[in-house]
Amino acid sequence: MQRGEIKNREAFLDKVAGQLGRNRRKDNVIRPKWKHQVQWKVLADLTENELVDVLEKQCEVIHTDFIRTTEKELDAKILQVLQAYGVKTALTSDDSRFSSFGLTNKYQDWKNSSDIDVFKWDIESPGQSRHLAEQADAGITFSDITLAESGTVVLFSSDGKGRSVSLLPSTYIAIIPKSSLVPRMSQAAREIHHQIESGGRISSCINFISGPSNSADIEMNLVVGVHGPIKAAYILVEDR
Amino acid sequence: MKVSIFITCLGDVFYVNAGKATVELLERYGCEVDFPETQTCCGQPAYNSGYHEKTKAAAKNMITAFEHSEYVVCPSGSCAYMFREYEELLQNEPDWKVKAAALKRKTYELTQFLTEILQIENTGAEFHAKATYHTSCHMTRLLGVKEAPLKLLSNVSGLEMVDLPNRHDCCGFGGTFSVKMPEISQQMVDEKALHIEETDADVLIGADGGCLMNIGGRLNRQKKPIKVMHIAEILNSRGDN
Amino acid sequence: MPLHVGEKAFKSRVEKGLGNEFMRGAVRSAQGRLQDSRSHAAEELGDWEEWRNLGQEIRQHTMENLDFYLQQLSEKVAERGGHVYFAETADDANHYISEVIEKKKARKIAKSKSMVTEEIALNDILEEQGCNVVETDLGEYILQIDDHDPPSHIVAPALHKNKEQIRDVFKEKLGYLHTEKPEELTLFAREQLRKEFLSAEVGITGCNFAVAESGTCALVTNEGNARMVSTLPKTQITVMGMERIVPTWEELDVLVSLLTRAAVGQKLTSYVTALTGPKEESEGDGPEEFHLVVVDNGRSKILGTEFQEALHCIRCAACINVCPVYRHIGGHAYGSIYPGPIGAVLTPLLAGYEDYKELPYASSLCGACTEVCPVKIPLHEYLIDHRRNIVEKENKSNLSEKLAMQGFHKLAGSAGLFNIATKMAPFLVTPFVRDGTISKGPGPLKAWTGARELPLPQKERFRDWFKHRTKGGQHIAKRGD
Repeated sequence: MQRGEIKNREAFLDKVAGQLGRNRRKDNVIRPKWKHQVQWKVLADLTENELVDVLEKQCEVIHTDFIRTTEKELDAKILQVLQAYGVKTALTSDDSRFSSFGLTNKYQDWKNSSDIDVFKWDIESPGQSRHLAEQADAGITFSDITLAESGTVVLFSSDGKGRSVSLLPSTYIAIIPKSSLVPRMSQAAREIHHQIESGGRISSCINFISGPSNSADIEMNLVVGVHGPIKAAYILVEDR
Repeated sequence: MKVSIFITCLGDVFYVNAGKATVELLERYGCEVDFPETQTCCGQPAYNSGYHEKTKAAAKNMITAFEHSEYVVCPSGSCAYMFREYEELLQNEPDWKVKAAALKRKTYELTQFLTEILQIENTGAEFHAKATYHTSCHMTRLLGVKEAPLKLLSNVSGLEMVDLPNRHDCCGFGGTFSVKMPEISQQMVDEKALHIEETDADVLIGADGGCLMNIGGRLNRQKKPIKVMHIAEILNSRGDN
Repeated sequence: MPLHVGEKAFKSRVEKGLGNEFMRGAVRSAQGRLQDSRSHAAEELGDWEEWRNLGQEIRQHTMENLDFYLQQLSEKVAERGGHVYFAETADDANHYISEVIEKKKARKIAKSKSMVTEEIALNDILEEQGCNVVETDLGEYILQIDDHDPPSHIVAPALHKNKEQIRDVFKEKLGYLHTEKPEELTLFAREQLRKEFLSAEVGITGCNFAVAESGTCALVTNEGNARMVSTLPKTQITVMGMERIVPTWEELDVLVSLLTRAAVGQKLTSYVTALTGPKEESEGDGPEEFHLVVVDNGRSKILGTEFQEALHCIRCAACINVCPVYRHIGGHAYGSIYPGPIGAVLTPLLAGYEDYKELPYASSLCGACTEVCPVKIPLHEYLIDHRRNIVEKENKSNLSEKLAMQGFHKLAGSAGLFNIATKMAPFLVTPFVRDGTISKGPGPLKAWTGARELPLPQKERFRDWFKHRTKGGQHIAKRGD
């Protein structure tokens, strides 16, 4: 990728430094170890199952249906959810986990039994994929990291994992491998920080999604479903 | 224990009974009370209005007045807090700054002094009424005295305390704010008066002359039959009301 | 002046606010709810004070090294193929953005909520240029449809409007046919705006926090419009105030955690969207071109002054939600897109005292703002600092106040004079006493007695009583009069 342009920087930052009463600091600024480290105390001593309970409880707060299942029953549960929401077409991201969890080979059954079409984000034809996302009733993704405290699924965008899948359809379904669960945003942020520190390239879009979209802009009345999905379901799967 | 009274302007001129009750309370616990006569005003009206140069004379006068005091006790959280501002106000005058720091260390609001220094939670008071308590902003938020007055009031026999809805809201006094922005101030005190009425209390208790003058003044104007009293009067009461 | 909203004179704006019963009711109930959710969220999290300390510590370090972190940020954005423009003034920023749009020959612009673009009045410039700029945050959309009514709150911009008013605006301007139910109004807006998102050529967003270490811009939202704006249009322009930056993702976590709780009592908002440069070439959606505009517009002159911590603000509006003055006069009375306590602090810093010299006085200094600020900005102390500047540096206080303070200075500085004055007080007010109270005070007392009775100064002052009593050797005091 071609490097972008930076304009007007030196004069701007010289002025900032001048106001701060010193010369420019171009390097050697060390981020201090913060005196307060309170974020690491939150939900710190919980077992994995206790974190699941926290997540489940938080789902009530964020108007999200929560379903626990096993790897074996995952496909049946997803089908139930699709049926319950009246979904006729669903779009999934292109994520190898759909096949490793044994889902891709069930799509034909779903079509036969319930007339549900499942499409996959197509890396080769992004325009069509986006169009599918506009048309689909549901978008389905796996969660990359899941935050128990806030009921959040973290999605890292990539070629196969378009931003639109979790955004444009009116229903969003996240499959949450239990192993992706961490207490809160702190752990996810630290993981991303470490990735950056070790020279990794982070995704162009990292979404932290906590339930369906909502707004309280009219008389502070909460309305669930604004521009993004109107309904959301999390399906937690025991993967170990 | 020697205690000097810092009476405040409003306490000296308007709420004399609160001052008397303060003296009596302190003496009951064996304090030797004196009143440094050269004390004036803490300077807060000028300070909060931005006239910091013009506050310095008041600050220095007060520092001198209380220089030899062991403890300074004040029946107002707001005025007591003002003493804490002196150190920064006089930061460019090292001698005064040191003295200001000393004054800060020995100054207490009345209920704070009773609970923290004298370690008293029950003043043995008796007062028969249904009452509610107004938490004044400076005492609560700036001085950090939150529990002391409520604790002391909860032990007054015969006193039924009712929670004041939205008790953390300012009454709208704000010193010069009340005369500089009278329309806004009036709306604030009206809201406060409304909440006080909602409690159905006979008595409104406060620990700051400014708030009491404001709320009392509004209640009087509205001819509401709610009595406004300083907490020192309640804590010193012996059931003769 | 871009910051400015509403009528010129502070007094008439306040009158208008005080007279708007609906607005006051709406603000009162909104404040109630927001205060409850905030304190509930803080309590639930636990160690709230320690969180605030951490927030403050992070903000302090970041401001002290702002040039370093902005440099790092711009490098990282450029490495990822994004363009960065440093704009010293509102005009610079608007000019750059307008040029980018011109080059793209774009006409339809979708915007998500951004205070800084309000501050620089970007929409005006783009509309002049012939662009169709669509605000996509529900609150902002309502205001835009209603002939650009200005926002009255930094988080809930249409707080001052009721649902019936919104229904009527939709009806009149957009042919809306349904009821005033928020669900129906919202669904209608969703349908209207979905078309706009799909056809917009350029998306403009604000930036809650930029992350220096990775060149990431994080958007904290609930409605999903910012995701739309950063997913569908081919070009994305993100505008940030230069102070909205954190060193690394670890600090992003802390400040987002503070922001969502302090603003709306949520553990996280529905979406926190972290964008790093344009989409990768092989990715199917996201913008192909990404521009970051870093705006100074008066912020740098706050650095290095006693007001530096005003730049710590993370725009959560917690101070606005607890402010009793805001509750009664509403957001528009502040005459600035930044209302409430932070507005009263920030606006004069950005736009000068001349037009905003009343704002620092629109506070009873109750300190509720300072108490809730998640990054511990000493808001009410800053209001006093402003007053000091107005009085002592700018010499903008009025003559009667100056005279009064001169008098006060003399009195409070002299025990003798003070003694005489307080002794005289009961006699001075005698002509105004009726039935044991003062209902119509003279001169400066008039403002007081406009709404309240003034108690009578006591003939026996405390000091007289005390003196008497020790002189008489009485150590058991009598009950007073």
